[in-house]
Amino acid sequence: MPLLDRRPIAGSRPRRSSATRPVVADPAPGRSPGKSPDTASAQARLALALAAGKAAGAASKVLRFGGGTSFPGRVARWVDPGVLQKVAAASDLRSVVVTGSNGKTTTCRIIAALAEAGGLEVVQNRSGSNLLQGVISAALLGADLRGRLDAQLLLLEVDEGVLAKVVPDLQPDTFLVTNIFRDQLDRFGELYSMARDIEAVIEELPATATVVLNGDDPLVASFAPTAKAKRLYFGIQDDGAGIQLPEHAADTIRCVQCQHPLTYRVVHVSHLGDYECPECGNARPGLDVAVTAIQPSQRTGSEITVETPAGTLSLHVPLAGMHNIYNAAAALACATTLSLPQQLEPSDARRALGGVRPAFGRLEEIRAGDRRVMLAFVKNPTSYNTTMREVLRQPGQKHILAAHSNTVVDGEDFAWLWDVDLEQLVPQMASLTVSGTRAEEVALRFKYAGANPATMQVIPDRAAALDMALAGTPSAEPLCVFAGYTPMRELRNVMQHRGWVPPFWKE
Amino acid sequence: MAQVPVVRVCYLYPRLLSVAGDRGNLFALLQRCAWRGIDYTVAEADVDEIPNFSETDIVLLHGGQDREMTAAARDMAAKAGPLTEAIENDTVVLAVCAGYQLLSHYYAPVSGPPIQGIGVLDAMTEGGKKRFIGHVAVECGLSPGQRHQLAGFENHSGRTWLGKGAEPLGRVIAGAGNNGQDGTEGARYREVYATYLHGPVLPKNPWLADHLLARALARRYPDFGPLAPLPDHTESQAQVAALRLARHQASGWRAAAAAISRFALQRPAPVSASAQRPGGMARSPLGDIVDGVDASVPDQGLQMPEAAGSAEPR
Repeated sequence: MPLLDRRPIAGSRPRRSSATRPVVADPAPGRSPGKSPDTASAQARLALALAAGKAAGAASKVLRFGGGTSFPGRVARWVDPGVLQKVAAASDLRSVVVTGSNGKTTTCRIIAALAEAGGLEVVQNRSGSNLLQGVISAALLGADLRGRLDAQLLLLEVDEGVLAKVVPDLQPDTFLVTNIFRDQLDRFGELYSMARDIEAVIEELPATATVVLNGDDPLVASFAPTAKAKRLYFGIQDDGAGIQLPEHAADTIRCVQCQHPLTYRVVHVSHLGDYECPECGNARPGLDVAVTAIQPSQRTGSEITVETPAGTLSLHVPLAGMHNIYNAAAALACATTLSLPQQLEPSDARRALGGVRPAFGRLEEIRAGDRRVMLAFVKNPTSYNTTMREVLRQPGQKHILAAHSNTVVDGEDFAWLWDVDLEQLVPQMASLTVSGTRAEEVALRFKYAGANPATMQVIPDRAAALDMALAGTPSAEPLCVFAGYTPMRELRNVMQHRGWVPPFWKE
Repeated sequence: MAQVPVVRVCYLYPRLLSVAGDRGNLFALLQRCAWRGIDYTVAEADVDEIPNFSETDIVLLHGGQDREMTAAARDMAAKAGPLTEAIENDTVVLAVCAGYQLLSHYYAPVSGPPIQGIGVLDAMTEGGKKRFIGHVAVECGLSPGQRHQLAGFENHSGRTWLGKGAEPLGRVIAGAGNNGQDGTEGARYREVYATYLHGPVLPKNPWLADHLLARALARRYPDFGPLAPLPDHTESQAQVAALRLARHQASGWRAAAAAISRFALQRPAPVSASAQRPGGMARSPLGDIVDGVDASVPDQGLQMPEAAGSAEPR
C-alpha cells in the first residue's frame, strides 16, 4: 500500500524501549516482546488481557453500563499493564495521537473521514473516551487475541493528563497538539505545568515522528524547539475572518520568551491568531498548512481554501464556527503526514470533509418528540464562548438549560464559569433552567450576569430539569443545552432511553 | 442623602492577573451597588498604567500563574508608592492568591528566583512541592461579635506565613489555607483583605462583598448609613453548597470512600503513576487530607462517591 511506503514494516522498525518511561509493574520492562525468553507467557498474558477486556466490553453493553468505551481498558490493563505497548508493537500500522484543550474529538473525526476516503482502515477511540482506559479500550477492542489490529491507522485522542502514559508506549508517527486553553486548572495545577508535560512528551519523540502544532497558538507553537521530531505548523491566514482584540478569556497573550505583551495583527479564537512580540521579535511561525480564505457556506459551516505542501484544496467544513476551521486545518496537517492529500483526489477530500457530522454533544441537533434540542458540550471559557456565539447567531429568543457537576471528569473548580461572557446570552434569554450537582453555583453565575433569579428554575436532577426546560420551550424554538461532560452524557442517556438519539457509541 | 453615592473601583491587571474567574469579584461589587441604587465607576489599570489610587475606594488585585505574577511584580514596583499610601489611608483592597503574595514581602517559588512583593502586608510565602487544591471553608470574625463563613476554592503551591503586622482573615474549617499547618487563611491589615480563595470569593460570600462596600462608603461618606439588605437566596444556596463540598472533603470516611472509588475507577494522574496506587487510601483522616493534597492527585478526596460513580460508564 503506497500510504505506508515511507516506513519499513513494523517488525524491522526500531521501536524505542519502553524503559524510558516504564509502565507500572511492567512484567518485562525494556525487553521487546519478540525476543524475551518469557515470550510465551507474555503472549499468554496479553491474550488473557485482551480476552478479558473484550468480555468486559461485551458485558458492559449487555448490562447497559454504557458503551463499553472505557471499562474494557481498565480490565485489560489490570490483567496486563503492558497491553497498550504490546498491541502497538504487534501491529503494522501508523498511529496518530491527538491532544490539546479543545477540538480533539472533532479533529479526530475529520482525520478519520479523510483516512477512510484514502482507503485506510481506522481504529480510534471515537466516543471521545480519551483517558487512559478509553485509549486502551479502543486499541484492544480492535485487536485480535495476539494483539494485532486489522487496520492501517490507529487514531487516538488522548487527554493531556495521560499523555505521559500513552505516548511512550505507543510511539506515534504523528503527534498533534490542537491548542492550549485554560481547561480544568484544578486538575493540571497551572497552564504552564501542563504545557511542560506536553513539551516533555514531544522532546522524547524520535526523528522519524512528526509533531503537528497550531502555529496560531503562541504557547503551542513554541513547544520543544529542540525536539528531534519533524515539525509541521497549521493555522489561519485569512485576515478578513478575524477580530481585532483577544476576548476576556484569552490565555497566552504574553510572549513565551520575554513576557512582553504580544501584539496581534488578527485574532481568530481566544488567543489564536497572527501574533508578534514587539520586544523580542518572536512571531507566528511560517504555516505549512494554512487556511487562506474563509467564506460562509450556503449550507451550515464554511467554505475554505487551504494551502498544503501537496497543493491547494477547496473544501466545505460542514461544522459551524471558527474553531471548526482550526479543527479542519489540524486534521489536514495530520493527513499531510500520512501522505493523504497526495493520495486523495481533491474532490474526494472535499466529499470526505463535507460528510463529517458533529460529534455527540457538539451542538448536536436532537428531535425531542415535538421539540428540538441543541446539545452543546462546554468545558472551558473558550468552548463555552464559541458555542454561545454560534447559538446567538441564530434568530429568536433563547431557551437555555445549563448543567454542571463536580466530578473527577468535569473538575472540581467552577471558577472558570465566571470567565464565560454569559452577559451576552442573558439579554437574549426567554427561559433558563440550571441543573447538575453544582446547580446552585451556575444559578449564582447567571444571576450576576443579569438573569432574574425569580424566573430561573434550579433543578439539580438532570432528567427532571430536562423535562421542565422542555415544558417551558415552545415547539417552534430549540432548547439549547450547555452542559459539562458528565451532565451532557447523563442528559443524552435520558434522551437515548426515550429513543430521541442513538447511543453515542453507535453514532 | 441627596446625592447618589459613588463607589470608585480600581481593577488592577484585568488581563494579566485573571485566571480563575476572579473577575466575578468585580461583578459582585458592581451588581450589589447597582441593585441598591449606588453608582460606581471602574478604572482598569494594566502594566505601565498607574491609576489614581487617591481617587479610588476599592482596589481589586487577583490571582495569576507564576509567569504572569513575575511580570506583574516587575510592574508593581512602579505602582508600589501610591498604592502603599492609599492602603495606609484605609483604601479598601481585596487581594486574591498571587495578588495576596504581591502585597506581601516576597514569594519564593520552588524553582526560579524569588518574586518581590511591595511589602505592605507583613507576610511571606515559600513555594511547596505539593499544591493545595480543593474546596475551603473559613470562619471569619471581621467585626466584633460577628462571625461569618467564607467558602471558596484554593489552588496554590505557596505556603504563606504571617508576621506580627498582619492578622489572618479567618481560621480554616476545611482545606489548607495559608500554609496547611497553622490553621490560618488569608491576611488583614487596615482595610486590606487578602485571601487564597478563588471561586470567585465575593459572589458566594455576599457578606464579604458588602463588608468591603460598607467600609469603602463609610470612609468616603462618613454619614452613609448601613447598606440596604438584598434578597440573597441564590447567594446563600451557592455558599451552603460550597461549604458542604469543603466539609465533605474534610470528613474522614468521605475521603476514604473517594480514595477507594478513585482506585476502583483508576483515575488518571497528570504527573506520575502515584495516583493509581492504593496508597491513597492510607491518607484519610482530616489532618492528612489537608496536608496531603498532592499535585499528582488533584482530585484528592473531593468527589462525592455517587458523583464519582456516574463519572463514566462502568
